[in-house]
Amino acid sequence: MHSFYLAWKYIIYNRIKTAVLVACVTLIAFLPFALQMLLEESERQLTSRAVSTPLVIGAKGSALDLVMNTLYFGDEHPEAISMEAVNRIWDSELALPIPVYTRFKARGFPIVGTSLDYFSFRNLDVATGRSLAVLGECVLGARAAEELDLQPGGALVSSPESLFDLAGVYPLKMKVVGILEKAHTSDDLAIFVDLKTAWVIQGLGHGHQDVTQLNDPTLVLERTESNVAATAKLYHYTEINEKNIGSFHFHGNMDVYPITAVIAVPNDEKSGTILQGRYLAKEETQQILRPAEVINGLLQNIFRIKNVIDAVVSVVALATIMAIILVFALSLRLRQREIETIFKIGCSRMTIAKLLAAEILIIVMTSATLCAIMLAIVGTFTNDLVRMLFIG
Amino acid sequence: MKGFCWKRWSVVWIGVVMLVNVYPAKAGSPLNVYVVNYPLKYFAERIGGKHVRVFLPVPADVDPVYWTPKISDIGAYQQADLILLNGAGYAKWVSKVSLPRSKSVDTSRGFKDRHITVKETMTHSHGAEGEHAHEGLAFTTWLDLSLAAKQAEVIANALTRKRPQHKEQFMANYQSLEKDLLALDSRIKALVTPNHTVPIIFSHPVYEYFEKVYVLNGESVHWEPDEKPTPSQIAELNKIYETHQAKWMIWEGAPIKSAVNVLERMGIQSAVFDPCGNVPLDGDFLSVMRQNIANLEPVFR
Repeated sequence: MHSFYLAWKYIIYNRIKTAVLVACVTLIAFLPFALQMLLEESERQLTSRAVSTPLVIGAKGSALDLVMNTLYFGDEHPEAISMEAVNRIWDSELALPIPVYTRFKARGFPIVGTSLDYFSFRNLDVATGRSLAVLGECVLGARAAEELDLQPGGALVSSPESLFDLAGVYPLKMKVVGILEKAHTSDDLAIFVDLKTAWVIQGLGHGHQDVTQLNDPTLVLERTESNVAATAKLYHYTEINEKNIGSFHFHGNMDVYPITAVIAVPNDEKSGTILQGRYLAKEETQQILRPAEVINGLLQNIFRIKNVIDAVVSVVALATIMAIILVFALSLRLRQREIETIFKIGCSRMTIAKLLAAEILIIVMTSATLCAIMLAIVGTFTNDLVRMLFIG
Repeated sequence: MKGFCWKRWSVVWIGVVMLVNVYPAKAGSPLNVYVVNYPLKYFAERIGGKHVRVFLPVPADVDPVYWTPKISDIGAYQQADLILLNGAGYAKWVSKVSLPRSKSVDTSRGFKDRHITVKETMTHSHGAEGEHAHEGLAFTTWLDLSLAAKQAEVIANALTRKRPQHKEQFMANYQSLEKDLLALDSRIKALVTPNHTVPIIFSHPVYEYFEKVYVLNGESVHWEPDEKPTPSQIAELNKIYETHQAKWMIWEGAPIKSAVNVLERMGIQSAVFDPCGNVPLDGDFLSVMRQNIANLEPVFR
């Protein structure tokens, strides 16, 4: 007990030296553990979602971008494909196609345009409110709702794609009708809308006053027997409600409207294989992927990087331990007179050894405590950190 | 001891009987099918028989094509085992609500190439899109009874996918329905073909498929059977009459007396051909169509 008291007093007296030692030991212990935690979480997040998604179809290009965008709604948007890709799978009768369109955002959260089948496929249940029913509605993931502080009955405005796109599409004020139960996946951070609502956000569908019935002369640029040209003053609705929903319409052939990907849920393993075979032609403009294979490739790269980091950390740890030993050795040499004095006043060599051991123990214990606190903090934010570091 | 055993075996026996009864009931419980119009309801009921419960939640006095569902109605459609859509732009509300595609069947998608496009005569322009007209599709596909038979086939296949164990029955029922529909088709052809060039006027532009398949010489106006025609509607008819001297107007429903009188003064008689979009007050789809054919007899004789 006396040894600890004297060691403590010595440590307090040499604050700076002790702080440096504690920091070194803490960091050396913290880095490999934190890295391991992050990798385990990334593996869990990436693998579980990839395994539960049988097939993804999208434009040819980066397989990783396509999978990361379709599964985790990442920021890298693959080239758009058309709804014909969905119809093609539907007509094959080999799989259930679920379209995904992730081009837009609202207050930093991705807007995911999809069909109701997505919710049953991912086992997403509505915790409060109800599911999507009418054009212009949205359902929020649990964390998106928390962070945006929104409840059913609230409203959310889609963000313009570019601040300088003044002549572009008006943002759409969406009605929040439901909050999903927490799923501990990327779905928690998403804003789900019907695919058609996503097309309204894009401007492919819109609602406005009946141009042929305009009475206000300032709204009519030119009127002939067969055509009415409206001025820019013509009011386009920026919110869909019971009164104006009838005026919303889509232009052109909806089969060529854009989506980013299709999740295909095959009837069985054989149907999945046959479907994959249909995308093998050289002239094919779309690719079909098994997300689990793409994510395994990514994880292998991550683990390769982890091995490099482990090696670097090991070398740094060895150097640090050697430096710490040197510090203690130099410290002992500097304290030679002090130790001799302790010996002369009657302390045994064992007591002196205990004194030094107590100092080391206090430093190690302090580092261990700090390391545990830091790991606990990292543990709380692993989900976000993984999204930030690996998913984007 | 003997009494105790008897009681115990009774309980086990009742349990077994309940299990045997409950499980087949669940597996064979009727499919909840939601439809968007009466022809689809009739087809689904004829084909599905006791294995389906078909719902058309549109009030009797509303034309399903212009009906707007409440949120609770949309919820009911979403919860159905099967949703039968007419396609061809029928019931505009379908394009403005969220329905699960896995349960939805567009019964006219298979003959998309035979859809008839209708364009607004007035074009308009706003924004960067330039001059355009809102195109739409003619939607009363079932008035071409050969197309109606194709829609029925899609329904039979959809029901078979949901309940493969009843495939034989569904197919037998479908074949019987197809026979009835094609028999009606033959009757109409036999009636109209010899005089198909007779000019006629349709009270509403809902007969496009009927007109096309039986190669009729028709023009459409926008008259409602329960409304007195306005001066502008009469003027529109007069304009058409200058080049299209029809002796008959075909109505969706029995017209009011004042409308009949206006037509009679112009030498135009009235006949009813009910498209039968909603559940008829009497009879069923086939009996309404038979009555329609009977109503057409004086027009083409």
